[in-house]
Parts: sequence; C-alpha cells; structure tokens
Amino acid sequence: MNGLKEIARRIISLAQAQGADCAQCTVRESTKEEFNMDGGRFSLMRTLFDRDVSITVLKGQRKGAVHINRFDDEAVQEAVGQCIAASESAAPDPNWEFDAEPKERSWVDGAPDCDREALFERTRELAKDVAERHPKIMIEQMINSHDRAHTVYLNSSGVSYERLSGAYGFDLMYSAHEGEKGSSFFGSGVILKTLDRPVIDCGAIERELKAVEQQIETKPMEGKFVGTAVLAPSALAEVVIGTILDNFVSDTSLIDGTSIWKDKLGEKVSDERLTVSFKPRSEAVVVGQRFTSEGYEARDFDLIKDGKLESFRLSQYGANKMGGVRAGNDSWNVVIPGGEKSLDEIIRGIDRGVFVMRFSGGEPASSGEFSGVAKNSFLIENGRITGALSETMISGCVPDMLNQIRDISRDVLEDGSMSVPYIAFDGITISGK
Amino acid sequence: MLKDVLNAGSFSFEPAAHTEVRGQLNRSRRVTLLSGNIIGNARSDVSGVSARVWKNGVCGFSSMAEYDEEAAKQVLKAASENAVFMDSRVNYPRQTLPALSRAALPLERDISDPAQKAYIEYAKALDAYVAAHCPKLISRRIVATEDSMEKVLVTSDGMSAHTILPRSYCYVIMTAETPSGAPVELFKAFGGEGTFDVNFTDPTQYASQIDALYERLMQKSEGVYAEAGKKTVILDGFMTGMLSHEAVGHTVEADLVLGGSVAGHMLGKPVASELVTLTDFAHTAFGQRCPLPVFVDDEGTPAKDVPLIENGILTGYMNNRETAERFHMAPGGNARAWLFSDEPLIRMRNTAVHPGKDKLEDMIASVDDGYYLIDSSNGQADTTGEFMFGVTMGYEIKKGKLGKALLDTTISGVAFDMLKTVDMVSDTVVWASSGFCGKKQPMPVGMGGPALRCQVMIGGR
Repeated sequence: MNGLKEIARRIISLAQAQGADCAQCTVRESTKEEFNMDGGRFSLMRTLFDRDVSITVLKGQRKGAVHINRFDDEAVQEAVGQCIAASESAAPDPNWEFDAEPKERSWVDGAPDCDREALFERTRELAKDVAERHPKIMIEQMINSHDRAHTVYLNSSGVSYERLSGAYGFDLMYSAHEGEKGSSFFGSGVILKTLDRPVIDCGAIERELKAVEQQIETKPMEGKFVGTAVLAPSALAEVVIGTILDNFVSDTSLIDGTSIWKDKLGEKVSDERLTVSFKPRSEAVVVGQRFTSEGYEARDFDLIKDGKLESFRLSQYGANKMGGVRAGNDSWNVVIPGGEKSLDEIIRGIDRGVFVMRFSGGEPASSGEFSGVAKNSFLIENGRITGALSETMISGCVPDMLNQIRDISRDVLEDGSMSVPYIAFDGITISGK
Repeated sequence: MLKDVLNAGSFSFEPAAHTEVRGQLNRSRRVTLLSGNIIGNARSDVSGVSARVWKNGVCGFSSMAEYDEEAAKQVLKAASENAVFMDSRVNYPRQTLPALSRAALPLERDISDPAQKAYIEYAKALDAYVAAHCPKLISRRIVATEDSMEKVLVTSDGMSAHTILPRSYCYVIMTAETPSGAPVELFKAFGGEGTFDVNFTDPTQYASQIDALYERLMQKSEGVYAEAGKKTVILDGFMTGMLSHEAVGHTVEADLVLGGSVAGHMLGKPVASELVTLTDFAHTAFGQRCPLPVFVDDEGTPAKDVPLIENGILTGYMNNRETAERFHMAPGGNARAWLFSDEPLIRMRNTAVHPGKDKLEDMIASVDDGYYLIDSSNGQADTTGEFMFGVTMGYEIKKGKLGKALLDTTISGVAFDMLKTVDMVSDTVVWASSGFCGKKQPMPVGMGGPALRCQVMIGGR
C-alpha cells in the first residue's frame, strides 16, 4: 500500500520545489469487475484496472489543477509542471484554502474484495427472479459491478488520508410490455456491502418492478388542476434536493448572488416536519465520503432541521468568499427521516393528485420553478390510484412546495447511497392534454 | 499524441472470435470564470489501452491505464479470459459475424495543445466584454473548454486506424432579474470542431452574438409564462436537432430496440409527416463536413450515413456489428467508446432532419396563436418516444408576428405522434455540437435540423 503514498509524497515535494505555497494530491488505484446484460441477455464482462492522480497547487494565492491517470515519474513531473504553470496563469484569490491541521487517518470501508463468482450468480439470479416474478418486464440493460479503490490523499500541511474501499452496485433499466404496448423505461439500483441475499429483495427494486408492470396501459390526463403530487424517493431527490443544492445553498449560487436563500440562514424555509441531512457516515450508506475535495475530514451535517435552514453547503473556498461556514461534506449521501404515515395511508388521504416515480424536466430556474413530464406515474382520485398516466406535466416552485408538505411517509428507501422517504406536496399544477 | 505502437501481427487473437485492441488518449481543459473570479482552472489527460473480444454473442473486455505493447498484450489476455468465462457460463449458440474488409486509416492531422494561459486569457477578455456591454446582469459566467479523443485501433479483421477528434467551446452564461426580482438565465456555446487556439483567435469575434444573447435575456426578463396546453409552435433548428437526437434517435438505436423501444414495431411504417427525412450522418452532410465527423468506429467499421426516416417512413436503425447481423442490416459505424476503459456502444454521430423549402419568416407569419421556440437547456426522452425539452428562450406568436419573450418552460410529446403534425420545414439547417449524450458513457455528438412547424404540449406554469 505504500506505493501510492510514495507517489503522493513525490508530487507534494515536486510542487513545493517549484514554488507552490500549498499543494494537495489524491492518488488512486482502482479495479472494476462488471457483468452486463442487454435486451435480457448476458452481453459483456469487463475487468478494468485504472489509476488517477489529481493535483492542486496554490502559488501566490493562484490555483491550478491537473488530472492524469499515469503513475510513472515522467508523467508525474510533467503534470506537476503543468499544474504550476496553470496556477501562474490564474488570477490571485485569497479564498482558496486546504485543510492545514496535520493529521493521519486510514479507513477500510465496504467490501474491498470482489467475489466474482457470487456477483455472476447474483446477476443470473436477479434476471431469473425478474423473469419469474414479473414476466411483463423486459430488462433493457443491467450493469452489475464491484468497484474497489485504494486512495491516498496528501497535502503540504501534513494531512494524510488512506482508504481501501469496495462495494457491489446493481443497476437495472427496464420497461414492461404486452404485445406492442409498452411502459416508459425505469431505472432501479442499489449499492451493497454483501451479496448475502437475492438482489431483487434489496432497496426498492421489487416494489418498482411491480409498479412499472402496472404502467403498460396508460392514458393521458385531460385538463389541468392544482393538486397533490407524491414524489417517490428518486424523483424527490432529483426535483427537490437537486434544486436546493444547485440553486440555493451551494458555492456558485451564493457567490454570484442568485440564491433566493442567501439571507435565510437560521430562518424557516420549509414545513417543520422536514429535516434534510447529508450523512456519509450513516449506516444506510455503504461507502460514504471520508474527506472533501479540499482535504477536510467529512462529517455529517443538517442542511434543514425541523424546517429551519441550518447550514449552507459551502466549500471552504465558498465559506471564505462569503464570510460563512464550511459545510461538513459535499457528498450526495442525503438522509431525510421518515414521517408517521405509510405511503398507502398518505394516498388514501388525497382527493386528486399524482404519484410520480420519475420526473423528466428542464433545469429548474434560479427561482426554483420547474416543469416537466411526470413519467412512470399514476393518477390518484378519491384516495385511490386509478390508472397509469402518459403525457402529463407537473409544474411547481420548490421553495413554495417545501411549505406545502402534506405528508412524509414512514416508508424510507435505503439504496446504499441515500435514505429518503416519499413526500406529498400540495399546490402542484398538473396538466394533461 | 499517441504513438502507433499497436501491431496486429504481434497479438495472439482468440480463435473463432472478433477482437479489437484500442489505445486512447482523452484530454480536457477547462477554465471557469464566475463574475470575473476564476473558480475553475483544470487540465486532464487520461490514456490507456483496452481490448474487447466478441465470442459467440458475448464479450470480454479489459483495460489498463498504460499505453504500450506489453499493456496491450495483458488486456488482450484478460479480455480473452473474460470472453471464455462468459461463453462457458451462458452457452449461447455458436456464431460468428461477417468479416469486415481489411483497411488502414492513418492520422488525418496532428493537433496543438495550447497552454492553460491561452484559455484563461481568452476567458478573461470575453468576461471583460460581457461586463462592459451587459450592464443589467446580476451574474455572468464564462467557461472556456476543450476536449479531444485520440484513438489507435487494430482489429482481428484487419482494420488499422489512428483518429483524433478535438472540439472547443466558450460558454457565456448570463443571469438577470425579472421586475419582481426573480433570476432568469440564458446561455450560448460558441465554437465547434477544432482545438482552442484554432477556434478562438480574437476575443471580439463573438461580440455581435453576445450582444444578441444579452438583448434576448433582457426581453426574457420582461417575459411571460407560456399558456399550458397543446399549441402550434415553430421549433427553431436547435430544438429540431434536440428532437432528432433525444426523441427519435435513441428509439432507433438497435440495442434499445432490442430492449423494448417503440421503434421495434414500426420499421417500414409511417412515423412522421412526409416532409420529414432524418439521417445519422457519419462525416459529411448536405455537402459539408459534419460538426463532429466520424470516419471509422471502434469496432473497425468504416463509417457511413444511416438513413432513419425517409419521407416519413421509418427505414432503419443504428447498429453495431452484432445487432446489424440480428436485424439483417449493414453496420454503419455507430459503435463508439468514450474512454480507453469504455466498451463501444451504439451511439449517434451527427443526427439531423433534412431541410425543406419553407422560409422561417413565412412559417412564423402562418401561426395565428402559438410560440416560436429557440433554445433548450436539456432534453430527455424514453423508449416510448415520449420526450421533454426544457425551453430557455422563445417568443409568443400572435397573428403571425412575434410577441413577448417567454420565461423558462417545457415542451413534451410523443415523437412519432408529434412528427406527424409537421406541416412546414424551413430551408436552413442549424447544427449544435457542444453537448454530451449520456448513455452509460458520455459521448460528443452533433445534432441539427431546420425549423419545423408542428403541434406540441407546452408546460406553462
């Protein structure tokens, strides 16, 4: 394991010799074993051996960054030279900063060693289980893999991290068919530490397969109304969490002043039942983030707690620039605690609305307004799901939605990277033909 | 630049199989300025070698982050072992693919590698122009970027090729405010095929287009919401390109057809108005070099145009060698890989609707109550052909004249239904090439078309 550390030390030493005030590098060696199925047939087995070297230097408060995938000394020397040259061309900015508190940490996370035979057999079993339990489902593509990585981070202030990690990932893309009729495609996935049970029973795979099977017969909705949209976890993460991160709480929107939450820290931004955290250390996360891109050890943090904006999601650079506080991590390991009602109870309480499994929409505007197609979705009428929908659009405004939460389900999807419930929002514009 | 170190004669190819060995270098350069501050300044070079072995309907693949003959032999051995592992486990019937003719395609040209300073200086000059000429912005962003794919390919069928495809762009992203204080954004990408120093010689070269972008943003900041519902619209060429790629192109990729795409039932049937002809062009379209030309794919198939819709009839799919055999079609060179560590997938190259005979101004004048939709932020479609595009710039059309600008909205429809409503096609094709198509791997693609008059669902508010 010391080979990577030696390369990292060499990089820091070369950068310092060429005048870098601060330097950091991440050196990584990784292996991927992967089985692919296409159109329901085994198609490909891949074995990848890769390397990555990412170097960042600060020289006279000017930053440069270079990425290569070679470990030989000639390539490393050239990369450091290019990184220094890039920094020398940049404008000075006193806000760049890496962790300057010396420390040494090492971790072993997930399942670093791949059981290839078990991965193949679980893949074959998953295809068989889908065919037997859900005969109308056609698997367009299945990509199942094990990823192993050995990573070393080093900076010129004496911060040293080393991590060995690995996990199994299962991803299916599929649709349901009967004769010439077919549903929209849908993707299910899960990240696992062990292969000790059938994959179809993990995450939300079984539930999602069953729902898609009911989407062969669809009908476009007539007219337009304002009602309730129940967002399934993946749609919730994309529409709501994605918009919050991209438009309201991260470096770019806060630095350029377009965030409409820029003055909202500590204030109520949502229904008080909502808490949104980023928890790479959660037990629900198989291989969570251990350190940030600026070399700070990752820690869990609450973005929204009981409806109040508890923190922005600033990097150290963004925090310095804005006079704010760096967030605990910059991962996508979102954790939203569940509520009190089951999903079925929530649906029973809705007079008219939609249940949205997937959202296909444009980039939300800076204001948080969005519109798009409700894919793989169902119409809810008088407390019941009454049919699958096609050609139905939903639109809304995320900041308004957060204050119009009807219910949060106690059912929570844990897929190995996040833990998110179903949430029902009122005030959504739902329009058909 | 990659050296031509791969020699088919030195490799032990797996018998009764088809093998490709590919060395590849991807480089990217990127500088980002946010309201004058450099927030991104990065270079990346990723290289290595891979081998893929096709045997009885399954493939073994392996790659390594080294590029020399020894590494090539190691990945070839690992890929062969993987192919044998798969073949022995799945036991598909014995089969082979028709051989390709032997050919050699030497490197067309060498390319330069400008220093990072060149990107920074150009981006700063562009930023200074925007700052000086666009006074009402609350934020501005400039991204100067280049990416290139260089490949050295040898195959067991006897193809030997060395290709390189560079492209470079400057993105100008502007944000202003509506009278109520809500931010509105607009962006445009300038550039195309070629390295940064070739495409960006003078920071004032795009001044008039930046002025036009700013003017449109000012109109958008005073804009209105589109009225939701089914409307007659004029899709400008960029939107047609997006439609060609997302809503039609993906449904006629043969791997997605085998996975259940709606196009599987429609070959030879009408799927569009007779005014619509759609082709996935390889390297030359309408007498000119395509935005991102492809001359040979990563299976060693010489690239040729693939007709998809001819006068409204669905006529073909895009294939790799294996799917071409299954559909009794000829492979057209659509099997492409993004990185050395990626296997070739069926991908589009330069997908475009052919031009018609109408003038854009006549098309706008023909609409009594509808919209002229110009730019899109993103687009998605699924294998049913149902699509959604974000619309970032458009205008009302009232009694044949352009009205107020639109705030962000979305359009949607089912491609093969919507294309049947096309009743006017403009005579000018607009291409775009700055984006990446996402399908397991990213891939640079060109897309284009003329303006279309048609019916779509618009999202409104």
